[in-house]
Amino acid sequence: MAEPSPQDSFYWRHEFAIRRLHSLAGLVPLGAYMVVHLLTNASLLDSVESFQGAVYRIHSLGLALPVIEWGFIFLPLLFHGLLGVWLIKNGRSNTSHYPYVNNRRYKWQRWTGVIALVFLLVHVFHLHGWFHFHIWLDVVAHPLGMANFRPYNAASSLARAMGSWPWWVFYLIGVLACVYHLANGLWTAGITWGLWISAAAQERATKICTAFGIGLALVGMAAWWASISIDPEAAEAIENRMYPAAVQSGAVPLSVEKRTQPDVTMQDHPLGAVDPAPAADAPVATP
Amino acid sequence: MIAPESNPTSSAAGARQAQMLKVRVLRQDGPGQEPYWQLFDVPREPDMNVISVLQRIAAISETVDGKKVAPVAWDCGCLEEVCGSCTMVINGKVRQSCTALVDKLVEDQPDEIVLEPMRKFPVIRDLLVDRGRLFHALERVKGWVPVDGYYDMGPGERQSRQQQEQNYPLSQCMSCGCCLDACPQYLKIELEQEDGESDEAFAARQAAAYDKGFIGAHAISQAMLFNNHPVGKTLADQRNEELSSAGGIQVCGNAQNCVAVCPKEIPLTRSIARAGRSTTLYQLKKFFER
Amino acid sequence: MSAHRVVVVGGGLAGLSATMKLAELGVAVDLISLTPVKRSHSVCAQGGINACNDQTRQLGDNEWKHFDDTVYGGDFLNHQPPVKEMAYWAPKVIDLMDRLGVPFNRTGEGFIDRRRFGGTLYKRTAFAGATTGQQLLYALDEQVRRRESEGLVRKFEFWDFLAPIQDDSGRCRGVVAQDMSSMEIRAFPADAVIVASGGCGLVYGRSTMSVFCNGSAASRCFQAGADYANGEFIQVHPTAIPGSDKLRLMSESARGEGGRVWVPRKPQDARAPKDIPDSDRFYFLEEHFPEYGNLVPRDIATREIFDVCVNEGLSVEPDRMCVYLDLTHIERRELDRKLGGILEIYEKFQGVDPRDVPMKIFPAVHYSMGGLWADYARSADGGLEPGAPQNQMTRIPGLYAMGECDYHYHGANRLGANSLLSCIFTGLFASPSLISYAQSAGGSYRDVPASLLESAVKAQQTRHDELLKGTGDENPYLIHQELGDVMTRSATVVRRNDQLQSAIETVDELHQRAKRVHLSDSGSWTNQNVIFAKALQDMFPLAKCILKGALQRDECRGAHFKPDFTKPSLTAEDPAERRRQAEQWCDAFEENNRKYLKTTVAKWDASSDQPQLSYEDVDTSLIPPRPRLYGLVGAEVIEEVWSERAARRQSEASDTQPSTSSSSDAKV
Repeated sequence: MAEPSPQDSFYWRHEFAIRRLHSLAGLVPLGAYMVVHLLTNASLLDSVESFQGAVYRIHSLGLALPVIEWGFIFLPLLFHGLLGVWLIKNGRSNTSHYPYVNNRRYKWQRWTGVIALVFLLVHVFHLHGWFHFHIWLDVVAHPLGMANFRPYNAASSLARAMGSWPWWVFYLIGVLACVYHLANGLWTAGITWGLWISAAAQERATKICTAFGIGLALVGMAAWWASISIDPEAAEAIENRMYPAAVQSGAVPLSVEKRTQPDVTMQDHPLGAVDPAPAADAPVATP
Repeated sequence: MIAPESNPTSSAAGARQAQMLKVRVLRQDGPGQEPYWQLFDVPREPDMNVISVLQRIAAISETVDGKKVAPVAWDCGCLEEVCGSCTMVINGKVRQSCTALVDKLVEDQPDEIVLEPMRKFPVIRDLLVDRGRLFHALERVKGWVPVDGYYDMGPGERQSRQQQEQNYPLSQCMSCGCCLDACPQYLKIELEQEDGESDEAFAARQAAAYDKGFIGAHAISQAMLFNNHPVGKTLADQRNEELSSAGGIQVCGNAQNCVAVCPKEIPLTRSIARAGRSTTLYQLKKFFER
Repeated sequence: MSAHRVVVVGGGLAGLSATMKLAELGVAVDLISLTPVKRSHSVCAQGGINACNDQTRQLGDNEWKHFDDTVYGGDFLNHQPPVKEMAYWAPKVIDLMDRLGVPFNRTGEGFIDRRRFGGTLYKRTAFAGATTGQQLLYALDEQVRRRESEGLVRKFEFWDFLAPIQDDSGRCRGVVAQDMSSMEIRAFPADAVIVASGGCGLVYGRSTMSVFCNGSAASRCFQAGADYANGEFIQVHPTAIPGSDKLRLMSESARGEGGRVWVPRKPQDARAPKDIPDSDRFYFLEEHFPEYGNLVPRDIATREIFDVCVNEGLSVEPDRMCVYLDLTHIERRELDRKLGGILEIYEKFQGVDPRDVPMKIFPAVHYSMGGLWADYARSADGGLEPGAPQNQMTRIPGLYAMGECDYHYHGANRLGANSLLSCIFTGLFASPSLISYAQSAGGSYRDVPASLLESAVKAQQTRHDELLKGTGDENPYLIHQELGDVMTRSATVVRRNDQLQSAIETVDELHQRAKRVHLSDSGSWTNQNVIFAKALQDMFPLAKCILKGALQRDECRGAHFKPDFTKPSLTAEDPAERRRQAEQWCDAFEENNRKYLKTTVAKWDASSDQPQLSYEDVDTSLIPPRPRLYGLVGAEVIEEVWSERAARRQSEASDTQPSTSSSSDAKV
């Protein structure tokens, strides 16, 4: 722990920059993304359509999406999370002797960090699957019951994936941990970067960050509630109705994997010529 | 020396004062040795503090079960909380023992007073610890004004009252080490002198180890003090460089125990935030100007 | 490698300023201290540091007046050339400390703010809140750390100075000191040695001093052949907070900022202090001393407080002696800004907010005006000769004393805020003298014979081992308590010959017992027991100097007050008769000065375990002694008579010889 390696390692030489990047990564892109993500998901409480629409907008990025996902979300997440674990190992929480609020916050920041990391690793696997190449999906993810999210059946696949109460609890704890970690992290980042300096400014910042945290927690719980409360059948019907139109209008590229039920039409036309789906199944979104 | 009669709770106080005070001390015979507990009985007197308790123990040198023992070793100086010597862990919290008044301690925890050495510094003996690392950190941040010399060159630059009022609280830091002991990010660094290693070689090895450990809130605050001085700030870049090297300000985890335990109520978090800003700006400047 | 190496013992203001200055001059320094130097007792000084300044100058002040106030306040026992030099250096010292970053309080326009202190009518005192000593010490500590990082200074903290090393010629060639952790005893060869080890408050058990102010370093030099001078002059500070482990100082600045001392006129008035109307309050200092009010010199304020409690029975509390020191009429913000540090101390230890409730205070032993006898070279203009080797040198060649442990700056009573000045001044001014000495004395710290070093270490090792083996049965801590009790009873505010005589006997007996201590720790690692036992044994030579000096000095001078030898007030109402009494008074004053305006010089006689006292003239060539008349009835007449005599003497002097009185003649 305290005794550093004889030669200065890369980390020791660049500790300041690495720690600053760690802080930055937590805010942008991770924090910012999380806000967008929770807001998107909370739109499900409004309607399946708004949620699906939002997902379509994300997926309109097409082939750029995986690059963005890895470059701006997964890698920063792994960097922030794994470095965070190492940092936690280099601190000794002492709230039993010093039970001050700020010291508790220090401890909670670390606990919620660990919870969030575990949660996010599982969450991405559970819904996204991490990778979308077939061998991974067929051999690893799907047999394990993971990679359940179908972007073109966003709400229904989500609702089904949420399954039963253990997942509900898992997600509720995970989301709240993330929210706390971000809101408190925002406040500490303000000191780290020297944004709020005076005691009065720090007090104001506390209020702002608390309000932000409570707001985001409400958004997160709304998203959570929506995901466990909607009826997947009904949702799927709506999604299937929206899908052909979206593809047709060019809003999103056609994709087999992003749907729950690869439809016959697409199997018939592997090159992707899309016919209107069977009327009985999903009425075309034309008047 | 207020007599019990003049005390509003005289009978209770009188009864209490007749009692013995149980004092549990975590002792250690030397560096690297196993610590062990000893319990002492000290006759309770009015207006006692932990210093006078330890003075009585030194005079008695006998544990509660009548065993003759060596007096407890500890460090103290001014006994009025300006020298920073007598820091120790009292009932679990780090503080100055001179201002730890027995009446107050007993009120909060009636059964016994528990004394331990500071947790983050190598124990020399009993309650005496080696705080060399703390002073080493002051050298790291070049905590001084780099004047040309000590000849008479007339007065220094005029300073506003506001600047004085900003600097004075920081300048009251007495290097007691409370902020470091309570800091969850400040970890103990304890090296052992090897056989045949000279004092100088050992000191150098120690300094190298200290250089990579967390520099600590006190030193960050001193750096900010001197960066806010008209001549002291000529070393600002060097201080920022030190504060952003290994073990620098980035190690701070914002637990803010430092400011909570500081006996001088120095606004350490404020200094840390200021240092956060100035090191960031300094590093950015360095990055783009390199 | 530096040409010279100096050992400095003690890291307070004097030791650090000397170290810093020596390092600037390229001298290597080994700095030995009982405690990390940043924790030295100077840190406790609160009120400020004196120097005449631009503002006071325009009110008629100058360096000479500062000098005059200092010797008048010191009842003319100060050697005047060093004091004059100090007063003229004072503004420069403040400037330097300002440059070193001391956060002196500022005026609205950004100048250094000043407050008034005792014994003067001018606002000369620069201050940094109420922790001026701390701030000055830190500034010097920082500079020494800087020099340490450059490699010229080596610090030996938690080392106990045991003895100077002297060669056959008696010259000091280094010191022996002991690591208080490993208990290693080691020799430190040097070209010259500075002892700047502060005062000896622990001789009194409880005082305002820090626990390491045990006087052991000065005593060890004294026992090695340095003389100890004016030991009986111990300042008892008028205002301290009584406590069971220590008497905590309540700075004079509390009065400097307007604090008023009073007691209820009705003995032990049960009303809360704020319910007692002004008419029922006895502001005894203001009533007795209309000009100086609460800011009379310390010895006088102390006696007044003592008198009001002991003789008039007006102590605020029935079973504990104390008076009110009242700040409650001053605005809180102002108090926080200027006195925050000391008010916090009171609040922390007494649990009462002194901004709301008057503080209860009582005098406490505070400062030793006396100390190691030290020499100086008088310059033609009546100051000191810069760089002269004998400046601050003790009777042991090459051994210097600076700061509180020297003796010539404060006479019979020190003025408030002069101690910080004298410490920094001596360190800065006299350090070059060591270099001149090293150059003229020849030889080098490198060629001190190994046999000399070894035998010096061996002698100390023997003492150490003997103590550990000790077969006695005395408890050093209990002996210390007894010593403190007897000293406090007999040699503080009021001194009586019968009490002093019996105290001398008691202390002799305690000294013998202290040689038979039994140590509860005989270990060889961080043995604080044996360190304390040695310090205790070495308190006795100083205690004996204090008592014997006090016994033999049958007069009142400054802090030394013997009620049996007070000079009477004028009683006559009739002007002529009053005039005659004043003449008599002045005759008696002159006669007394002829006999007692002398430095008490003690030499240690190891065979009898007693100090041998002799007396030496004081250099009063610059300002002729005059009566100190604070509050005396008939003072105006005496002053009139005295000034006539002074004028007569002056005209006679200018007739006979063109004033070339020389101090080195006066000094034996």
